[in-house]
Amino acid sequence: MKVQYDIVIVGAGLAGMRAAIAAAEKSDKLSIAILAKTYPIRCHSVCAEGGTAAVLREDDSFDLHAWDTVKGSDFLADQDAVEFFVREMPKEILRLDNWGCPWSRREDGRIAQRAFGGHSVNRTVFAADRTGFHEVHTLYERMLMYDNVDRYNEYFMTNLVIEDGTVRGVSAIELKTGELVFFEAKAVILATGGAGRLYGFTTYSHQVTGDGMAIAYRCGVPLKDMEFFQFHPTGLVPSGILISEAARGEGGHLKNKLGERFMAKYAPKMMEIAPRDIVARAMWKEIVEGRGFDSEHGPYIALDLTHLGEEKIEERLPLIREAAIKFVGIDPVEEPLPVRPVAHYTMGGIHTNMWTETPVKGLYAAGEVACVSIHGANRLGSNSTAECLVFGRVAGEKAAEYAMNAGDNHIPDSFVKEEEKRIYDELLGHSGDESPYQIKRELNETMDKNVWIFRDEKGLKEAVKKIRELKERYKNVEVRDTSKRFNMDLQSTIEIGYMLDLAEVVAMGALLRTESRGAHYRVDYPKRDDENWLKHTLAYYTTEGPVFDYIPVKITKWQPVERKY
Amino acid sequence: MVEFRIRRFNGEETYWQSYEVPVKKGMTVLEGLLYIKENLDSTLAFRYSCRMAVCGSCAMKINGKPRLACETQIAALKSDRITIEPLDNFVVIKDLVTDFEGFFKKHEKVKPYLIRDDISYEKPVELIQTPAELKAYYDFTLCLKCGACYSVCPAASTRDILGPAAITAAYRFCMDSRDRGGDERVDIIISDDGAWRCHFAAECSEVCPKQINPAKAVQKMRVKAAIRSIKKIFRW
Amino acid sequence: MSVSGWFRISGRSPFSLAFSLHRITGIILLIYLCMHLTYLTSLTDKTGQTYEKLISTTISPTFLPFDILLVLCGLYHGINGLRLIVHEFGFAYEQRRAILAMSVVIALAVWIYASYVMYKIVVGG
Repeated sequence: MKVQYDIVIVGAGLAGMRAAIAAAEKSDKLSIAILAKTYPIRCHSVCAEGGTAAVLREDDSFDLHAWDTVKGSDFLADQDAVEFFVREMPKEILRLDNWGCPWSRREDGRIAQRAFGGHSVNRTVFAADRTGFHEVHTLYERMLMYDNVDRYNEYFMTNLVIEDGTVRGVSAIELKTGELVFFEAKAVILATGGAGRLYGFTTYSHQVTGDGMAIAYRCGVPLKDMEFFQFHPTGLVPSGILISEAARGEGGHLKNKLGERFMAKYAPKMMEIAPRDIVARAMWKEIVEGRGFDSEHGPYIALDLTHLGEEKIEERLPLIREAAIKFVGIDPVEEPLPVRPVAHYTMGGIHTNMWTETPVKGLYAAGEVACVSIHGANRLGSNSTAECLVFGRVAGEKAAEYAMNAGDNHIPDSFVKEEEKRIYDELLGHSGDESPYQIKRELNETMDKNVWIFRDEKGLKEAVKKIRELKERYKNVEVRDTSKRFNMDLQSTIEIGYMLDLAEVVAMGALLRTESRGAHYRVDYPKRDDENWLKHTLAYYTTEGPVFDYIPVKITKWQPVERKY
Repeated sequence: MVEFRIRRFNGEETYWQSYEVPVKKGMTVLEGLLYIKENLDSTLAFRYSCRMAVCGSCAMKINGKPRLACETQIAALKSDRITIEPLDNFVVIKDLVTDFEGFFKKHEKVKPYLIRDDISYEKPVELIQTPAELKAYYDFTLCLKCGACYSVCPAASTRDILGPAAITAAYRFCMDSRDRGGDERVDIIISDDGAWRCHFAAECSEVCPKQINPAKAVQKMRVKAAIRSIKKIFRW
Repeated sequence: MSVSGWFRISGRSPFSLAFSLHRITGIILLIYLCMHLTYLTSLTDKTGQTYEKLISTTISPTFLPFDILLVLCGLYHGINGLRLIVHEFGFAYEQRRAILAMSVVIALAVWIYASYVMYKIVVGG
């Protein structure tokens, strides 16, 4: 079945929905489709807890927010994009307020802001400790007001249609019936999120499998800076559930087995609220050197909130308290929480410029799936939800402008036939002897071991070898569910295929980058090397594996300096 | 080892299937279901995503009561046999996956967005709201749209009605000090399948995973609906 | 849930059970009302003979258990109804458990007294 739209947005998280609203505001004559593999409010963006950073008050400045972001990125961020980004943020906060977002307030009724890692001023706007949840629901509810936005819920994207360097549309499986639907579009916006489920110990929802990244990559769009994966310091052991940075922002302490607040050794000025990569490395070093606690689920560090008192915890960190009690059976008011660094954010992604444009005409990418790059080698907390809002809006507006001047697009019947063959003949009901879930387990194990916080040549080479082996084995994978109706077995298998492609790019990119910068730390090359490596990694797909190229970082105001906190 | 007894549906017939799941300390029902999917029977279909009780995907009937599978500890059920069924009052698509299109359409029907005609998209201005004003409606913003309340509502079982979640969403906006669209929403609640269908069985409040008391919101909306109806009569 | 669900007991809160009882007693009272009206409209003769005959049948030890159950239904439905009116006007939601318990206790207490009075009238002594 074919349907036609001016703009098709894939992914209905913060960036996707913001893009839909922006495009609909631009013109009510545009026909917009937004499709996602789950209902919009079930997206991974709802898990975001801490907040969204913006310059709102007089004691702050755009230059300061930009500097904090650039320094936090270990100078890999493109500074022109960062300067643009910080100037657009305040309006996004106010728009969300106008649309009903329940921002937490100061006593005088104005929007409150709190401290967050790496920001030199308290500029993180928040809604209790469920900021992402409230932002998503606010955007979803606002999106309902636009008649020209059609929602396609539980449609799983399988491919992009690109011809002559121009996008023509998207193909997706309607999960309910299992039928393939072909969306012919003038402009396509990818907002499918990150790729965190490459790792086993991760804060990500189960559905974050890098779909948009992998499909774009296979269609010839380069991926940028994929080796940079953020490891958030505090993931609850054993589930990986995020304990928000806000716990440290509100005054929590990190203690090792000896009861020391060990951050004094690594970041004496900012202590626990130094940027995430610094805290994560500090914690991992303590664990590797034997000063972590032991447990049946592996080593951990203690996050101590007991000195904050019940009232403050209930007011500022209710979700964290609830999660700890429900998922580990520990009350943070009484005891410290067991935490460990956890895979949390994909700094890398689809290569876009400041206007969310990719090298393919009509194809845009916004949010975590894209790499502009704003976050460079390390992202500051509360900058991701901000990025989704600003660049979601930019993508929506740019796609709208493009679509208003473009002619109709058609997906050739030959593509339809090929895609149907690929999905229904070659994948669905494919009999083989490999379990996709076993492949995923082994992938996670390798990534957790060799492409983690401390990386070295030997481990990375092992990882690349293992991933290539898994990719071979994947060719023999079996999808046991042979029905079309809501086939989650098929969906999971396809997702695992996406993850294998992305893992290869991550591991190889990490192997090639012989320096340490931001979240990418090489034990064998522990220093930052601006002379050779102040550049972005680009990975292009070939059937033999990724081919790499490099492009320079855009510097406007700030020359790289040593990154000390 | 615990027996997971699951009511399945393949598009044509409903049947029960049992699986033996090895249980570790702290294991949730969702983890048990994922174990089944990844090791025993990958044809089992069920929704899940965040595994931390914020997305609302995994609401299902566990041992007779609707709960979120990701936050239900198997040990807390104190039973060797866990019976899992899809939510009541919803049409089943496959196994534990039910059709939520109608549920979201009802939510959309009550205009669950801030209605105000003095806001500008191009030049937004901060709206003032004191912490006390925020507290008046904040609890009702926590609704996950998981469907548990709708599945236990006795009024919803015999008739397609707006339901507790939609009416709670309407109440949340009526109580938001920044909103100016209260009357519009109350008019929708006065409809044939709105607040009048509630007979205070209050089961919705019992099963809500976020304990937001939808039964309270519905009663408060009734009062608003009643006052508005009377006002309308006298204006004639 | 549907109508058969009214009779399920496991996994339901006291409020949901109270709802089911309200529906069931309501139906019983409705059936009784129809019977009662038929009963009354049959008293058309002026002699009082039909009345005497009917009274001697229905006010008797055999009918007493039915009357006692009927009074229970009526008391429950009425008092629970008052509880519902209070809540449906938006009052006392937080005290709903206490109010439900109180309603049940009041209904039972009045019922026991009423049964005692009816017993004395019918059986005598």
